[in-house]
Amino acid sequence: MNPATDIPPAPEHAGRPAEVPRRGAARPRVARPRVGRSGWIAFILLTAPTLIGLGVFKYVAIGWSFLLSLSDARGNISLGNWVGLDNYRTLLADQAFRDSLLQILLFTAFIVPVTFAVSFGLALLVHRVRRGRALFRTTFLIPAAVSYVAASLLWKMCLFNGLPTGIANMIGGWFGAEPAAWIQSTSPPLYWIVLVTLRLWLQVGFYMVLFLAGLQAIPKELYEAAALDGAAGRRLLTGITLPMLRNTAVAVLLLLFIAAFQAFDEFYNLFNSGLSGTGAAPVQTPLVHLYNTAMGSQNYGLGSAGAFLLTALIVGVTLLQGRLTGFGRSGE
Amino acid sequence: MSIRTSELSRRGFLTGSLLVAAGTVLTTACSTDPTSGSSSGAGTTLNVWYHAYGEAGTQQAVLRYAKAFTRANPDIAVKVTWVPGDYAGKLNATLLTDAAPDVFETGDFSERFARGGQIAALDDVYGSARSDFNTNALDSVTVEGKPYGVKMIDDVIMLYYRKSVLSKAGITPPTTFDALAAAAKELTTKKNKGLFMGNDGIGDSPSNAVWSNGGDLVTPDGKVAFGSDRALEAITALKRLHDDKSLLLGFTTDWWDPSAFAQGVVPMQWCGLWAMPAVQSALGDDFGVLPWPAFKSGGTPVVRVGGWTGCVNAKGRNVAAAKKFVQWLWIQQSDLQKDFAESYGLHVPPRKSAAATAKKLSTGPAKETVELAAKYGKSNPGTWDTAVSSVFSAAAAKIVGGQGDPAALLAGAVKKAQGEIDKQLGR
Repeated sequence: MNPATDIPPAPEHAGRPAEVPRRGAARPRVARPRVGRSGWIAFILLTAPTLIGLGVFKYVAIGWSFLLSLSDARGNISLGNWVGLDNYRTLLADQAFRDSLLQILLFTAFIVPVTFAVSFGLALLVHRVRRGRALFRTTFLIPAAVSYVAASLLWKMCLFNGLPTGIANMIGGWFGAEPAAWIQSTSPPLYWIVLVTLRLWLQVGFYMVLFLAGLQAIPKELYEAAALDGAAGRRLLTGITLPMLRNTAVAVLLLLFIAAFQAFDEFYNLFNSGLSGTGAAPVQTPLVHLYNTAMGSQNYGLGSAGAFLLTALIVGVTLLQGRLTGFGRSGE
Repeated sequence: MSIRTSELSRRGFLTGSLLVAAGTVLTTACSTDPTSGSSSGAGTTLNVWYHAYGEAGTQQAVLRYAKAFTRANPDIAVKVTWVPGDYAGKLNATLLTDAAPDVFETGDFSERFARGGQIAALDDVYGSARSDFNTNALDSVTVEGKPYGVKMIDDVIMLYYRKSVLSKAGITPPTTFDALAAAAKELTTKKNKGLFMGNDGIGDSPSNAVWSNGGDLVTPDGKVAFGSDRALEAITALKRLHDDKSLLLGFTTDWWDPSAFAQGVVPMQWCGLWAMPAVQSALGDDFGVLPWPAFKSGGTPVVRVGGWTGCVNAKGRNVAAAKKFVQWLWIQQSDLQKDFAESYGLHVPPRKSAAATAKKLSTGPAKETVELAAKYGKSNPGTWDTAVSSVFSAAAAKIVGGQGDPAALLAGAVKKAQGEIDKQLGR
């Protein structure tokens, strides 16, 4: 997934162009075809822009942010006012942030399996379709190209606005339901319906395509052989399709977890109302909380600390998931 | 594969690349800042930020002012940036960068900018005009004895009500919170709700409630006061509006836009004086204005006085030129100030001389509004920044939603807000 993994094994200091050719020439690696001088120059020319870009725009920024998380930085992003781990302590003691962590865990626990199941199911159905497969595939994929912001506004203003003329309320009205304020109702928390349908609509098509690709890569001969042996229906699914899709499924799961933990756009745009921010929103994801801390209150130290806590959480979950599902081990 | 197809695919590749290139150019063109203005061969270019005012013509007006300034000061060009959406967030982020505006406006002036050294003291800008500003306009921008901004406009925020709808239902304009809640419930029909205070059902109502029961948000010396019994009583009472289901929630525009009221979706809306021209043109004289009613009879009604303040970025490269711009526009050009306050949305000029001669404020509901502001006007304290206000409204939202014990929720918010304010004041 990461483009960096596709780069041929580079010497440790690929970032320093002056040194690389000499080292490469002096100590050619064993068991690899020798790369000539022009090869190295080409390698450097091709990778340097990306590496330098990554270094400047990602790693310097990440390092700076880490140092900020150890400082009291209000209204500026200069370092020097060190406070140790105070920001981390403040944040973990903050009920609002802990609530946001809990809410994102619940949201993840719900949205990941549902998205997974729906997109897998759709992929199986679309894979089965004989005629018009391209049409179905495109229809389901198109929402993935819509931005979260645009979709949030659609959901908020057209589908789920609080007026009797909103589409959801209109449909409810046919069955005699009272018009509801979908996004603002806290008891029952109807806003989850809005959030979940929105995310499903946007994501399902994309993951369906990943599953479809996996399905299409399964050799037909396997099914034929199984059919000769008398297997059919469910047996084919559990015996061949599922095991052969293992790698795709694990990758999809990983992407889903990361996407769920990083949820921001729809939570921000559905509850935000322009000038007054999202202070009174019934649910805030960690990223929304941190956005308000850093961008609203200009407390960049606290915001950075939160970013690192969230990153640690995502890395932790990903590693755990990798261990449980054997990501990267199986298949080859 | 035949030669022909390979040729075709090469051509296709070329077309594809051209399309991608064209797309890139287009997207870059679209994603540039919505800026415009004059920058013709001047030595200094001032970057001036405004939030996107909703009333037609406002943007053209500030561009016109900028051009006029450059005519008067040919060595200083002015680039106006009109910022839609989350103005405060974008401003806060940009202030850290080289692209920071030299001059910017801020709504509900926050002392944090001054204490953090982000904006320059403007005592040298005012000159003799200082005494012409109304007390609140001057006090609200003063930190440690020095003014740090020039109030551009006062915005009065009050309750609009539809006269015909209320009289048809036999309801007199409410003067207590009980009467307001009863009226909102009475006016709620199957199709329409009775009152609009904001899409989140909260809006300004918690602070209004606190003030209307004689409470305070933060004392001038920086002590959080919204934890008092009176405050708790008034905020808890707001729950009734939610339980009665008499609030309009989830409208397509929020409370500062008069659409809900002007289109007849609600008969009562919390909105600002700025919207009065739009309301007038939609409803004629079938509307009246009210303060947020006193919590109990004999209590204090509330109208909120907000507004926008011009500030100078203290860390900018052109502080002197920026001060000159603020002085020229918001101190010297009284005609332009009048134009800005009266010609688009309706605002109260913070200059006493300008307010006294403002024609549109001298009759009808606009006049009533100005009088209400003089009598019952309340402004958010200078320490009331987003960190503090969001803690307060989050607690209020939970209280009116019936999630948890109101007293405990409010006490928790007081503690957190006090911590924020202590940090702000460097205590």
